[in-house]
Amino acid sequence: MTELRTRPVIKLWWAQIGSVIRLEMKKTFFAKRGLWVYVLALLPFLLFIAYALGTSHQRQRSAQLALRNEKPLTHQDLQAIKSGMTSEEVVALIGRPPIRFHWTDRRPLAEGGLVDVRHESYHYSDGANDLYLELVDGKVERVNFSEGSNRGEDAIMFAGVFQFFFIRLAVFFGCLGIFMNLFRGEVLDRSLHFYFLAPLRREVLMVGKFLAGLLATCVIFVTSELLQLVAFTWHFTPQARDLYLYHNHGLAHAAAYLGVTVLACLGYGAFFLAAGMLFRNPILPSAAILIWEAVNPFLPPLLKQFSVIYYLKSLCPVSVPTPPGTPPLFALLVSNPDPVSGAVAVVGVVTVALLALYASSFQVRRMEINYTTE
Amino acid sequence: MNARAHDRMNDRIVLENVSKFYGEILGVNRVNLSIPAGITSLVGPNGSGKTTLMNLLTGLVRPSRGQIRVLGYRTDEPEALFNILGYCTQFDAFPKGLTGYQFVYSYLRLGGRDSETAAQLAWRAIERVNLVDAAERNIAGYSKGMRQRIRLAQALAHEPRVLVLDEPLNGLDPLARAEMIALFRAAAAQGCYVIISSHILHEVDVISDRVILLSNGYVVAEGQIQSVRGEIQEHPAQILIRCNRPWELAAKTMESRQTIEVSIHHDERGLLVKTRDADGLYLMLNQIALNGVEIESVAPADDDVNSVYEYLIGNDEAVR
Repeated sequence: MTELRTRPVIKLWWAQIGSVIRLEMKKTFFAKRGLWVYVLALLPFLLFIAYALGTSHQRQRSAQLALRNEKPLTHQDLQAIKSGMTSEEVVALIGRPPIRFHWTDRRPLAEGGLVDVRHESYHYSDGANDLYLELVDGKVERVNFSEGSNRGEDAIMFAGVFQFFFIRLAVFFGCLGIFMNLFRGEVLDRSLHFYFLAPLRREVLMVGKFLAGLLATCVIFVTSELLQLVAFTWHFTPQARDLYLYHNHGLAHAAAYLGVTVLACLGYGAFFLAAGMLFRNPILPSAAILIWEAVNPFLPPLLKQFSVIYYLKSLCPVSVPTPPGTPPLFALLVSNPDPVSGAVAVVGVVTVALLALYASSFQVRRMEINYTTE
Repeated sequence: MNARAHDRMNDRIVLENVSKFYGEILGVNRVNLSIPAGITSLVGPNGSGKTTLMNLLTGLVRPSRGQIRVLGYRTDEPEALFNILGYCTQFDAFPKGLTGYQFVYSYLRLGGRDSETAAQLAWRAIERVNLVDAAERNIAGYSKGMRQRIRLAQALAHEPRVLVLDEPLNGLDPLARAEMIALFRAAAAQGCYVIISSHILHEVDVISDRVILLSNGYVVAEGQIQSVRGEIQEHPAQILIRCNRPWELAAKTMESRQTIEVSIHHDERGLLVKTRDADGLYLMLNQIALNGVEIESVAPADDDVNSVYEYLIGNDEAVR
């Protein structure tokens, strides 16, 4: 006891926080009831893997097709073909098609009788982009230009998945599952008294549990985000990858996505820790927080600041465009009418998290062990 | 508060007008206690408020009214309180995946002890509860008695001055019970405050220096064990006799001055006799049997502890 009393209090608290984290890590990472968090975290990675596999396969096919061209073709050569051109003009410009189908159908004439109509289908490729032509009676009737992978569009797709699936669903519900159970799960397991019987400030216990949850969610979701980034750039050619990462802000974007993921875990984690201590039924506060985050664009400026997504949206490196025809709800979720600077956004998330933790610190002092009423 | 009163607060466990309500349900009401060093037993039937009182003493629940000081420490400051107090609860749940040793070791680390000290103290406590062989096994595989012993080890591990033990002998075999009782006595002899709850009066009789008797959330008796033991010995015995002529037997038993009450069993195949002299009644029954009354069975009807409580608690004013 003498040893404990003479030990500097901050050092003692850190030692205690370390002990809480060690105890919590095993439970948090290997809890059977938390397995769905891993599934949720891995879903976008699997999506990008599927996309990368599809794109790679398509590019291989295009490259093989390009080898069979009469002459090397460029993107501009393919785009020079327009509707109404004759087959001779097409062949003159870009050579004979490496893949060609033709068939004839018989159509009735207005004056009676039938006439044979010749259909042709040409397929060209420049190695990355494909051109499909449909000719009727020797004239181009339809031009279908299929662009290979486009890094700009890919980046927007990545941003969309990040903002609408990864942050709003995976990280949100993952934090719900992990942070709500830090205290709530122990009450349900009837094991919280183990901590409450130790010579440990309740606030220190709360900080220890929060840091354990933060560590667990950061490891799970940052790993998922890293895997997504790897899968996202996997189908790039080495040159395209270098270009994207080192010359087109790819590395900066990756760092921003990882940073936003960490801040999302921090903000939502603090919210759900407080909710798990304040409410017996986690469904109601979770639904309330989900709705609060969703209606953020409608909120008055002052209330917007008490939302995590408000700051995270401003930190996302690529904004998702809303072209005409975008569903209104989607456009609403995407819109960020009052973006804030990066520094303000980071300080904002940290402040919101600290406020939630401050509220939790009062609750943890008041908590009682009364398992029979749970 | 003068210096003497202050010192008295610091060397006693003091509850002043403490009440605890769970909504509209009474936990304990208007409890005033001043507990000195030694072994003190909280006794009472199930639901009498023993565990609530222990949870109040250890800060696991907060009083609705009144205040509690444990050797001068407030119960809402666990960081200070649990340096001098160890609590062996009845909660039979443990953090998942821990061995017995890890359970005690982790508890000590939570208190801020370094790895080496925690390991030494953990092994010492495990040795004291005689669980060394099973210490490296997962608690999930422990028997009820082993779980009870590892909880005791946790409560003892940091060598506290105050030990609060909720039904500590539950699930232990006779040998382990004897060992634990010796351990509690040794702790009390060293000046520790040992507070034990039990609903088994016989157990309390063996262990305690003093008894606090609880009923329906109230302290109904408090004092040295001898006075409560005397009350138990004066408690009239109830005996159920099954026979073929209960009315005749009732008339005979009423002849004895030690008989307090006789009632005929509802099936008229026996009678219930309340007497101050059970041995005398048994002798009388032997003589009656020789005179032609067929006695099928004779059995004490109040062996269960609740009837003893009923007797003591029903006379709470006298006990006070």
